[in-house]
Amino acid sequence: MEAQVIIKDITKTYILSKKQQKIERVKDKRKVAVNGLSFTAYKGEIYGLLGPNGAGKTTALRCISTLIKPDSGDIIVNGHSVITDPEGVRQSIGFLTSDLQLEAFFTPNYLFDYFARLRGVTEDIIKERKKQLFEKFGIDRFAEVKVGELSTGMRQKVQIAISLLHDPAVIVFDEPTNGLDVLTAKVVTDYLTELKNEGKTIIISTHIFSVVEKICDRVGIIINGKLLLTETIDEAGGTEANLENQFFELVASESEEA
Amino acid sequence: MKNVLTIFKKEWDRVIKDKRLLFSVMILPGLMIFIIYSFMGTAMTSLSAPDPGNIAIVNPTEGFTSIYALPDNENIDNIITIAASEIPTYMTLVDQGEWDLIIVFPANIESNLVDGYQATADIYYNGNESQSQTIYQVYRGYLDIYGKALSYQLYEDTTVLLYNVGTQPIDEKKLMGTIMATLLPMLVVMFLFSGAMAIGPESIAGEKERGTMATLLVTPVKRSQIAMGKVASLGVLSLLSAISSFIGIITSFPKLFGEDIDFLSIYGIGEYAMILGLLFSTVFVIVGVISVVSAYAKNLKEAGTLITPIYLLTIIIGISSIFGEGANASWWFYLIPIYNTVQSLIAVLTFDPNITMYMMITVMANLVFTALLIVLLNRMFNSEKIMFSK
Ligand SMILES: Nc1ncnc2c1ncn2[C@@H]1O[C@H](COP(=O)(O)OP(=O)(O)O)[C@@H](O)[C@H]1O
Ligand SMILES: [Mg+2]
Repeated sequence: MEAQVIIKDITKTYILSKKQQKIERVKDKRKVAVNGLSFTAYKGEIYGLLGPNGAGKTTALRCISTLIKPDSGDIIVNGHSVITDPEGVRQSIGFLTSDLQLEAFFTPNYLFDYFARLRGVTEDIIKERKKQLFEKFGIDRFAEVKVGELSTGMRQKVQIAISLLHDPAVIVFDEPTNGLDVLTAKVVTDYLTELKNEGKTIIISTHIFSVVEKICDRVGIIINGKLLLTETIDEAGGTEANLENQFFELVASESEEA
Repeated sequence: MKNVLTIFKKEWDRVIKDKRLLFSVMILPGLMIFIIYSFMGTAMTSLSAPDPGNIAIVNPTEGFTSIYALPDNENIDNIITIAASEIPTYMTLVDQGEWDLIIVFPANIESNLVDGYQATADIYYNGNESQSQTIYQVYRGYLDIYGKALSYQLYEDTTVLLYNVGTQPIDEKKLMGTIMATLLPMLVVMFLFSGAMAIGPESIAGEKERGTMATLLVTPVKRSQIAMGKVASLGVLSLLSAISSFIGIITSFPKLFGEDIDFLSIYGIGEYAMILGLLFSTVFVIVGVISVVSAYAKNLKEAGTLITPIYLLTIIIGISSIFGEGANASWWFYLIPIYNTVQSLIAVLTFDPNITMYMMITVMANLVFTALLIVLLNRMFNSEKIMFSK
């Protein structure tokens, strides 16, 4: 197995503003969102990061995408370090998270071309990829509708298409089925499986057990910024119920420690 | 470079393809200025041009008539001849504010003209009526001229030197240039700034707030290219917006100064090229400042709050053109952005002989400032604290 994404003991601490302290009801200005996290994702697998809200999933994925830098530790993506070669990482990765939005004024067609050009994709490949991805997600009919006028689901599909336009080796999707209806969610998960079979490395985060059980090869359970367990889905029991039981046991023991 | 162009094009399309934005950035400023200035101009002319006066003259003379009826004077007053017997009636009318002025010449004043002859003209007006007072002053002026003319005739000097009276030879071009120099620099800086303010914060603070900037930041595009692309397109768009304002003000000139004063033709292609060059170099400094502040701001609203005092400061610097005699002569003042633009504009508009040096220092200084601001913006785009603060 070829290690494609190696997360090496990363830690990320946010400094909370006065306002955030009030909202979170904490006295401490510092919030350790990710605490000594390590795991590896291999070529041709889907790795699921499972955890409750506020566990640090989004923070960890943002570190992989180079949107933010870990305070300590390093991440190697496709041979590039997020610390020393962030541009190399950005080249290799397709990233999706709710923090990344598309400009409401433009159409999917316009934005696809825009980001493809910025990524240096040649014009004929742009055409080909656009046709393929727009068809796959049923965007073709909405290609000339402004993003601001699209439904949430359609917008998310456009975001997915744009995040994959450069055919990246590594795909990092933060809660990819959140806010989607079951049919759309299935299109997305099916496509992720297809990409995996093509040999891509995929990391997704979720708080939904069934997603992990259905598409992930391995799962890491993250609570309070720490990775408590990494195992294959078979080792975890192979069913949603078994996964859930394990998860709640871990939550219980973690809160005892705290 | 290709990426800079791609980003430039997107920023450009964002404004040009948005009919509402296009109208409010490119058309509205010019239209508003045209309407406001035309209105101001009309109001000013109606203030400065008094109503036609009513003047009654006893024993009018050819010489006097030829003075007030000169074609250049565009005399619109109602001037009538009355008999001496009618004087009391008209005096009552003047007292009641219904007539403005009565002038009574002695009979046959011009034919009686001999050495030592002294004629007295009686004048009657109403000092409590402003219209009557104004008319009196105007005709008092004509009478002075007439008096002089008569005395020249006395010495058999038939050349009546009407136009030498009280008239110093003046350099009209220089005078008009001075008027322009007090008026325009402030407006230029204001137009450039308000154009940039209408689109800059939206394009940077707005994109940051809505998360569309993050989408750009996960691509491998260099942050410096993003900074350059944004500043370049915002600069060009702001310049166009400023030019729209200019067209507005230029088209309102005839209303503001009268149809026959042509301010535009006193300047040649050289001056216009210099003005455009100054605007071009200045707009990038302004856009740079607005971009840096917008990148620093947490959201669009905060950007607006932070930019307003800077806007006021530039207006104050612009107003400095109203004071002082011509352009500042110390070269190092031309290193100060905005101030250097204002002073260089004054120099161009007043045909200052040192303009080439001022221009060079100004453009160089602005170039350096723009480069520094882009470097700063690049660093801010690289800082997660600034780009992802909540
Ligand atoms: N920009 C931020 N500033 C301060 N605190 C943050 C920020 N983003 C996330 N956090 C905090 O870090 C913790 C982890 O958040 P996140 O990574 O979003 O968790 P998850 O995605 O698993 O729900 C939470 O307590 C959250 O409040
Ligand atoms: Mg999250």
